[in-house]
Amino acid sequence: MKPVLSVSLLSKRFGNLSALEQVSLDVAAGEVVAVLGPSGSGKSTLFRCISRLIEPDSGSILIDGTAYEGLTGAALRKARGRIGVVFQQFNLVRRRSALANVMTAVLPDLPLWRVASGLYPPALKAKAADALASVGLADQTYQRADTLSGGQQQRVAIARALMQDSRILLADEPVASLDPESARVVLGLLRGLARSRGLAVLCTLHQPDLAAEFADRILSMKAGRLSPLEPETHQDQVSLSALV
Amino acid sequence: MTSGRLDVTPEPFDAQAKSGAQSQIPARNAAFLPLLLLGVAFYALCLSVAEVSLTRLWEGLPRLATWIGRSWPPDLSELDVLIRRGLETVAMATIGVSFGAIIAAPICLLAARNVGASPVFSLPARWLLNALRGIDSFVFALIFVAAVGLGPFAGVLGIALHTAGSIAKLWAEAIEATENGPVEAAQMSGAGRLRVFLHAQMPDVMPQLSSILLYMWEFNVRASTVLGVVGAGGIGQELKNSVDLLLFDRVLTILLVILAMVTLIDQLSAWLRRRLS
Repeated sequence: MKPVLSVSLLSKRFGNLSALEQVSLDVAAGEVVAVLGPSGSGKSTLFRCISRLIEPDSGSILIDGTAYEGLTGAALRKARGRIGVVFQQFNLVRRRSALANVMTAVLPDLPLWRVASGLYPPALKAKAADALASVGLADQTYQRADTLSGGQQQRVAIARALMQDSRILLADEPVASLDPESARVVLGLLRGLARSRGLAVLCTLHQPDLAAEFADRILSMKAGRLSPLEPETHQDQVSLSALV
Repeated sequence: MTSGRLDVTPEPFDAQAKSGAQSQIPARNAAFLPLLLLGVAFYALCLSVAEVSLTRLWEGLPRLATWIGRSWPPDLSELDVLIRRGLETVAMATIGVSFGAIIAAPICLLAARNVGASPVFSLPARWLLNALRGIDSFVFALIFVAAVGLGPFAGVLGIALHTAGSIAKLWAEAIEATENGPVEAAQMSGAGRLRVFLHAQMPDVMPQLSSILLYMWEFNVRASTVLGVVGAGGIGQELKNSVDLLLFDRVLTILLVILAMVTLIDQLSAWLRRRLS
């Protein structure tokens, strides 16, 4: 099957430090791929380069077969709408409601006065409420983001990504700031959405056990280099732990 | 690898601190005396240039005392007129600060580094902001009195221009202190800079921006009492006329009106700002 996200030979240096060295990976629709590695191994750089929050030095990023690297201005903004992102620190607007935070996904389509006032059209509100319901937060729709628990905030962030109708979801350490129970809820949710909506999910993690439980494939990152983890060692907690 | 890095880092830091301690302390001692002498010389020069003279103050005291004596009891015959002129000062400050805020809004969005305007716009915006802030409303008012004639409107324009610079600078700094995470999340929707600001940054900074605006209003009510001196309206104009005519009982009344007005506005503004935070 043709991959939804295809990254090849992506490199990024910070001064003398090589953060990414010729990293290549594919993610297919409905698949959860975990990138496992210790902090400082380049996982976040990979996430930020693929989403182009920072610019990679070289390499290519294809989304549905279309080049994403090298785009600028309006073309970049349009392409960004096709990538859903989930961050370690949730990155919600604290003083806005869960609903308004889900609305982040459709900002480009809203007139400025609606963005500023937070008065959204009913059709979009219904859609955002559906997205919140699908992550189990129907009761928190109008609650202010900073009054939600960490796990709830991350689920709002996932609803925000769903609202975007993107086919790709990038998650950077989505459970690193959560307690073990919330972590399993959030990862279970990501996997469920990959299956039910055909999302291609690329997720960086640093807990081998969670990667083993929730990912279809695990790639291991070490000093900016990515290597696949063979299926036979997949469940092998000892070798996995040795990586971290 | 991680552990290796952890082992290595403390070493250079330690080494740096040690060599720094050895070389810096003697260097500081060596520079201390000349710097102190230079400071004393500068201060002495300032004292003489400023023509500070205790004898002149001493000789002037009796005159001040007579004036203070003559100011009591305050002349309340024209209190209604003076209060009206005081309200004129409040009105000037209010309208001036509002115009200033309208001018400041686009400038601060262009100047704030994390809103991300291109340097083609952000650099001129920062120059403009510094130029406006650098010229006092008093000086602007002096020019506007010549351009649009005597009266409060010249004062309004003076306040508006200077305050626009101050508000824009304080607003831009408040915006720059917002966290970047929500901005990145909003950027990833594909939205442009203005939408990202309105959605992700404005809600967080709104209380601060309002507080800054109230502070500038309060400040300008205080500061604009002097604008009358250059003929730009308000109670300052009455003050200047009365001092020129040596009507000290009237001067006292005016000072009392200013004091009451400023205290009231300060309290109101402080109360509103407390409610915002």
